[in-house]
Amino acid sequence: MNQMLIRARKSVFLATGISLLAMTSALAGEVTVWSWDPNFNGATMKEAAARYSASHPDMTINLVDFAKADLEQKLQAQLASGTTEGLPDIVLIEDYGAQKYLLSFPGAFEPLNGKIDYSGFAPYKVELATVDGNTYSMPFDSGVTGLFYRSDILAEAGYTAADLQDIDWDQFIEIAKVVKEKTGHPMLGIDLNDAGAVRILLQSMGAWYFTPDGQPAIAGDAKFKAALSTYAKLLQAKEIYKPVSGWTEYTGGFVSGEVASVFTGVWMTATIKAANMSGQWGVAPLPKMPGVEGATHASNLGGSSWYVLSSSAEKDEAVDFLAEVWGKDADFYQKILVDQGALGSYLAAREGEAYKASDAYFGGQAVWQSFSDWLAAVPAVNYGIFTNEVDAAVAAQLPALAEGGSVDDAIAAIDAQVRAQIQ
Amino acid sequence: MSRVFAQARSGLVYAGLSLAAFVSIFPFFWMLVGTTNTAPDIIKGKITFGSALFDNITNLFAQVDMVQVFWNSTFLAIVGTVLTLAISSLAGYAFEMFPSKTRERVFAVLLLTLSIPFAAIMVPLFVMMAKLTLINTFTAILLPSIASVFIIFYFRQATKAFPHELRDAAKIDGLKEWQIFLYIYLPVMRSTYAAAIIIVFMANWNNYLWPLIVLQTNENKTLTLVVSSLASSYYPDYGVVMVATVLATLPTIIVFFLLQRRFVEGLTGSVK
Amino acid sequence: MAKSRIGRAEQRNGWLFIAPTLVLLGLFMVYPIVWSLWMSFQTGRGMNHSFGGFTNIIRLTQDPVFLRALTNTGIFLVVQVPIMIVLALLFAAALNNPKLRFRGFFRTAIFLPCVTSLVAYSILFKSMFASDGVINDLAIMLHLMDAPISWLGDPFWARTVIILAITWRWTGYNMIFYLAAIQNIDKSIYEAARIDGVPAWARFRYITLPMLKPVILFTTVISTIGTLQLFDEVNNITTGGPSDSTLTLSLYIYNLTFKFMPSLGYAATVSYVIVILVAVLSFLQFLVAKDRKA
Repeated sequence: MNQMLIRARKSVFLATGISLLAMTSALAGEVTVWSWDPNFNGATMKEAAARYSASHPDMTINLVDFAKADLEQKLQAQLASGTTEGLPDIVLIEDYGAQKYLLSFPGAFEPLNGKIDYSGFAPYKVELATVDGNTYSMPFDSGVTGLFYRSDILAEAGYTAADLQDIDWDQFIEIAKVVKEKTGHPMLGIDLNDAGAVRILLQSMGAWYFTPDGQPAIAGDAKFKAALSTYAKLLQAKEIYKPVSGWTEYTGGFVSGEVASVFTGVWMTATIKAANMSGQWGVAPLPKMPGVEGATHASNLGGSSWYVLSSSAEKDEAVDFLAEVWGKDADFYQKILVDQGALGSYLAAREGEAYKASDAYFGGQAVWQSFSDWLAAVPAVNYGIFTNEVDAAVAAQLPALAEGGSVDDAIAAIDAQVRAQIQ
Repeated sequence: MSRVFAQARSGLVYAGLSLAAFVSIFPFFWMLVGTTNTAPDIIKGKITFGSALFDNITNLFAQVDMVQVFWNSTFLAIVGTVLTLAISSLAGYAFEMFPSKTRERVFAVLLLTLSIPFAAIMVPLFVMMAKLTLINTFTAILLPSIASVFIIFYFRQATKAFPHELRDAAKIDGLKEWQIFLYIYLPVMRSTYAAAIIIVFMANWNNYLWPLIVLQTNENKTLTLVVSSLASSYYPDYGVVMVATVLATLPTIIVFFLLQRRFVEGLTGSVK
Repeated sequence: MAKSRIGRAEQRNGWLFIAPTLVLLGLFMVYPIVWSLWMSFQTGRGMNHSFGGFTNIIRLTQDPVFLRALTNTGIFLVVQVPIMIVLALLFAAALNNPKLRFRGFFRTAIFLPCVTSLVAYSILFKSMFASDGVINDLAIMLHLMDAPISWLGDPFWARTVIILAITWRWTGYNMIFYLAAIQNIDKSIYEAARIDGVPAWARFRYITLPMLKPVILFTTVISTIGTLQLFDEVNNITTGGPSDSTLTLSLYIYNLTFKFMPSLGYAATVSYVIVILVAVLSFLQFLVAKDRKA
């Protein structure tokens, strides 16, 4: 009731155009965090806050969640405006965007070297948030990739888990053809508007859209050509995949039981479990790039890290909080793995019980152990500042490639578009 | 002969309208069905009612302070609508009723401002609000929207059908300009106002980008922002999303339902 | 035009009535617009930008993505706006007939799409037009085609779906402007025409349409602006794909501002392309409306 009165009074002020006091002034010891999925990264942050406040009762965490795209808009608009008012103390940023933010808005984020022992984290996660020797992130969830597959469908087609170990993409396509022929199930769901698969293939070879010094590695780059050729081969084997559009249809493909496998980041685990098909799923290593030296079975898709804003008034508390809980509490990582399915980048955590546990949903496989083994092996690459630009250029060529278009033409078009965009 | 023709034509009209109504309502129906289904069922495209309604509602209210959020949206929509209509209809009326060369040019400039994509002016607007220490306030959301060129333009065009004799008669009776606006124009134009209320209410209720940039705390979030954040997690619970979208849709439908009778009444009786 | 000569008192009232508008727009519109105009001559990344003269304008002419976005936006404009305006007029005329039954129901139904939440409607459109969605199933069942069409995976069909989606969402919205305007027409004109034996189509053509002209002009200008700024549908249903076939100018501006390395200067330049297009098109539309008056 009181609330209503206050509101009513507010409206009078509004109507007369008199401004209210800004409601942003944070309480002492209140650390504001922006994150984007209340059931995933938001929930892990809550758990971390609970652990920290046990020893620091004067500090509270104020968690504000937005949609991921919304958070990026908000952050980018506010940083571009040059006003620090209203910025949070800690913000979650997707790894692909890290360099873009760090380089476009110098001074906006706080370097954390010396405050966090980075040697305990997956090297590629540290590398992507490093600029001129300074590392800015508290590495959070990994997007280490694997091949999730329906073990029952694969068995029907005559394949066992062993048949999926150490295969390359050519072999994968052959398996997919057999699966389609014998069971009628498409092996994959593919969205021609999404270049994520190309990114996965590139990073599995230790390559990216850019050279380490930030120049486009597209036209004339052997690894880029290898990635695009391999993906084109897959796209042209039309019988093995179901064309989908957008996230809902993509995830719907395997949640509904139609699609037999998906190669993607470990964070997809929760969605796969939501399909309620316990015992019918398995996880295999990512197929390898055929005929490329240095090709691995480990890659990454997505993933994110926490950053502290330099403008923050509670900077020291925020950094201490991250370092204390996220930086060294292996037990915490067990907890978020079990509760949220969040695979952190803290390597020591994999010695814990939760990481070693076998999972009945995946037929008793110790999936977390596998993922954390691959995590340590993910090649470090420089995501650069123009990943989204190149991604858009690559995606624009995928439909043509699926129709049998020439890979060289596609590379030329991508290169031209990228060079026009990155200035 | 002509009766047969007329019947055939009216049959065609009913058929056309029914088809349009079906196509229009179906997504809404699907949304209602969605509130009763689980997320996997919604993804699979199930179009029969399920039994998850209670769970979906409980989950939504557990995740979001719906009362607060709903109140924020309602408050912004109502205050915004009242202020916008007051200020913008007055201007639309004046641009049409008191023609002058200078004002004509001002109007042309105003019209052009409609065409600027909001994304282009958002950053400077944010800087202004920060300087006025209005970040995270509802005032910051309302100020840029209450003088709406769109509504001014609409009222100006609608005023072209307003009978000038009415104003002349009122002047002879000794009414002042503001009295003419309030006591003659306003009641006569009520179907225009009804349409404008619906449009402005809807625009305020669904306003997305600017509130997103300006509002910083969970307590101040609007329903549109909440729906957006619910719908885009790694694994969205579409059942919960559907409940939230139905709640986000109902108020505008209610406003439309209450005002739509105005469209059929119109001028009857008020002219003579 | 007797009303063009007005007294000094009316001049004063004219300014007085628009004063609040001018103050508000002056503060919250003109300043940001001037700022963005200044920005459109800046180049650089994020907060590091400097004066670049006409660099951004030259960049426009060499940017294949911009040219694609411009073409797509043009296609949407030319195809979609006329369809929607005509449909909305027809619905308004049909629903204005006092003898029509279930008028309230039809009105509400046809208006519903524009209030249905964007999130719900984009999920639904995507699932309806999915490769194994209801549209394909239905068309195959009716033997309209042999194999399912990949609606959202094919550039031509993806554009078609977007046009359907915008038409679906905004026709009812435009209809209410017409319905409201028809009420402002004096009913005695229709009575007289009916008594004189003027058929219904002719009453629509020679009474309703001319009386609605100001509002038709209004909706045409507004729809033109709306389509040139088309964002919601393409962002939510196709995200501009496949092959950028549904990428619009507004979506491109959005990408330049939020998704790509923030280049606010170039984004502002693209925004001014929309402004110029609107200026030219609205001018033409006003001109056409005036011509017909004579």
